Amino acid sequence: MTEQTISQDRRRGRRLDVLLGLTLLGLLLAMWLALSVETTTFWTSNNMANLLRQGAMIAILAIGETFVIITGGIDLSVGAVAGFVSMAVALLLANHLAIASTIAGAVAISLAIGVIIGVFHAFGVVQMGLPPFIMTLATMYALRGLGLLITNGATISIDNDAFTGFSRASFLGFPWTDGTWFQVPMLFWMVIVIAVPTYFLLIRSRWGRYLYAIGSNKEAARLSGVNVKAITYLAYIVSSFCAAFCGILLAMRIGIGNPTQAEGWELQAIASSVIGGTSLFGAVGSIHGPLIGSFILTTINNGANLLNLNPFWQRIITGLLIIVVVYFDTLRTRKR
Amino acid sequence: MASVESAASTARAPILVLDKLDKRFGATHALKSVDLTFEQGEIHAIVGENGAGKSTLIKVLTAVHPRTAGDVYWNGKSVPLATPQESIGLGINAVHQEVVLCPHLTVAANIFLGDEEMRAGLLDKRRMERDAQKLLNELGFALPADAILSSLTIGQQQLVATARAERRGAKFLIFDEPTAYLTRQEAAALFKLIRQLKARGVTIVYISHRLEEVFELCDRVSVLRDGALVATRKVSETNETELIALMINRSIEQIYHKDEVPIGETIIETAALTGPGFQDVSIRVREGEIVGLYGLIGAGRSEFVQSVFGRHPATGGRIVWRGRDVTIRTERQAMNLGIALSPESRRDQGLCLNLGVGLNINLPIFKLLSVGPLINVARESAAADKQIRDVQIKTASRAAPVTSLSGGNQQKVVIGKWLNHGAKLFIFDEPTVGVDVGTKAEIYRLLGSLLKQGAGIVMVSSYLPEVYELADTLHVFRAGRLVATHGRKDASHEEILTEAIGV
Repeated sequence: MTEQTISQDRRRGRRLDVLLGLTLLGLLLAMWLALSVETTTFWTSNNMANLLRQGAMIAILAIGETFVIITGGIDLSVGAVAGFVSMAVALLLANHLAIASTIAGAVAISLAIGVIIGVFHAFGVVQMGLPPFIMTLATMYALRGLGLLITNGATISIDNDAFTGFSRASFLGFPWTDGTWFQVPMLFWMVIVIAVPTYFLLIRSRWGRYLYAIGSNKEAARLSGVNVKAITYLAYIVSSFCAAFCGILLAMRIGIGNPTQAEGWELQAIASSVIGGTSLFGAVGSIHGPLIGSFILTTINNGANLLNLNPFWQRIITGLLIIVVVYFDTLRTRKR
Repeated sequence: MASVESAASTARAPILVLDKLDKRFGATHALKSVDLTFEQGEIHAIVGENGAGKSTLIKVLTAVHPRTAGDVYWNGKSVPLATPQESIGLGINAVHQEVVLCPHLTVAANIFLGDEEMRAGLLDKRRMERDAQKLLNELGFALPADAILSSLTIGQQQLVATARAERRGAKFLIFDEPTAYLTRQEAAALFKLIRQLKARGVTIVYISHRLEEVFELCDRVSVLRDGALVATRKVSETNETELIALMINRSIEQIYHKDEVPIGETIIETAALTGPGFQDVSIRVREGEIVGLYGLIGAGRSEFVQSVFGRHPATGGRIVWRGRDVTIRTERQAMNLGIALSPESRRDQGLCLNLGVGLNINLPIFKLLSVGPLINVARESAAADKQIRDVQIKTASRAAPVTSLSGGNQQKVVIGKWLNHGAKLFIFDEPTVGVDVGTKAEIYRLLGSLLKQGAGIVMVSSYLPEVYELADTLHVFRAGRLVATHGRKDASHEEILTEAIGV
């Protein structure tokens, strides 16, 4: 193998990656185009900003989820963590607990709760040897219960305008095709805030390489000197941290805290990740994949609304989509 | 029809005839045009070194792997042997060294697995248990049919596997190293059973490393070497010395090139080290030295090196690392000292198969390629490309998944990734299993370059010519103990093999 053919092949490999990303992006744009033609309400600066806001939270969950899936695990708790944290941040803001009730304090504590939950998951998976499916299913169930116990089933309203106002705020903008002004929602910028550091972590740091190695062959990774336990902790902490981050944005957006919120979001996060090319068998995945995947999913929901489809169809479509996408994933694995 | 060797001139009718049977796995030529006749009602031993092709032969006969070329005749009729069902339908069954049954089911359920007795569309459990018990009693096995399989010893489980084969109407029964895990009493019971089966006209293929069993039990013996059949003898007309001489391969010694490297200071010493699967093992490894550990599979070599590597910590004895007493309880401790282990099974333990060659090669040294936590991508690519070039890995690119490589090139990845790591002691467990001769030579060259860096190597191998030619010090293991130690080539192959087999 000569230098030249190696570099040619490298370029071809890279091109294939780009191609996959472009295909997803093309799918998203095609859906947008179809909806723009079919409805008059879709392609408006208002609706598109709304779509970005809706998609933002699933995107953040999906990015975190991807870390766990790449190691060959699964995190079913992300929806419950988001709901629980929405309650926690609301509780903190509603009370007068000195620094903990400032916005910065409440957000910091809420994120710390996420980290603690992630540590707990990893402890169960690494130290107790529980299957990730069971461990995170159990916390998913228990966290909802714990939240209801704390709030006694009540919803906590947030009357902190500085906090809730953030979800309506925007940063930068550009003229839209219909002459209106499109403002990029703050919530979408929050996706970037998560995506950039997670990109560096997953794609550019050695810990990211270890995540892939563990997902591919834990034993080989260990024998190559990878601290498998520590890296597994990292994956679950990133996932729960992202879920907590999402929970804070959720509380901002709807102005209340309620532990039963974000129900079923774990499946949307997993679906987004898988639609974005993450393999449920581990060792395959990216940051841009789940990002685009979550907006594809959000577009389906948004479009179904605008087309006046029965909202129950959204669930059916999402369910079928998961089956189709995972089927393609099994095909890819079988070919190997 | 097959060419029939001289020993077949008995009155017995041939039941299974292999005619120029050939099997290739990619570049590996596992069976080379094997002509072999099995006669009805004989006990036919197959012996050979590890890697000689015995397992492949079983897998072709039980149709786990399709053959590449050649014909198989069953009772004179050509048969395709395309699916395991077909093979079982003919009456060909195998009892494997490691039992392949369902451990959570009862003995009866295992015996009837896949062919359950039904009543009104439901499993007739009671009848199956009764019939299974009857069968076990007939065969003379004192086993309860309602016991859960995993509650039995491996030996008893093997009896269950035999009963299962018997129920399925086995006419041709292959035993693969059946006594490896059996006690003396269990082995005696098994031999009795095998003789009973023979008396009923069942043909037995008996694969074993234990030559004394061949002479005790078998009628004829065939010797495989490097995938080719070298001889078939009547057991009464041969002896152990002749069989050993036939088993050893001398034709490819020239591939063992060894650089003369001056031997330096002691890196590691074990004193009476004892652990799970081995006892009282004392060895020493010095800079620039290859220490070979030879023995049959299950002799305790792998267990010993795994213990030194912290996987199953030793329970007794001492480890001295560069003059200092150390305890190694975890693999990370071993790696931090400067020990690297290249595992026996590259697929299960050595490689991230669906990831790129570059990632696999750099996995142990990402720390060196990083600035803080971030990888210097240019340095990463350069390191991978350099290693691919130096180790001569034939791959489309460094991004190509390891699965796309041949077995030999995969093995070069497993070994090549340690070259830049800077470890002091390298343990290679079966470094050349399943790779062709040319790749073997390249792997030996890699070992040489590690030695020149001042490292010491422990090489575990079941392939005698390899350790014999390469090792500066050669230790022979048998039944968990170190039974003999040789300097460089100071004993013959025959002596060493005899020590390993314990005849």
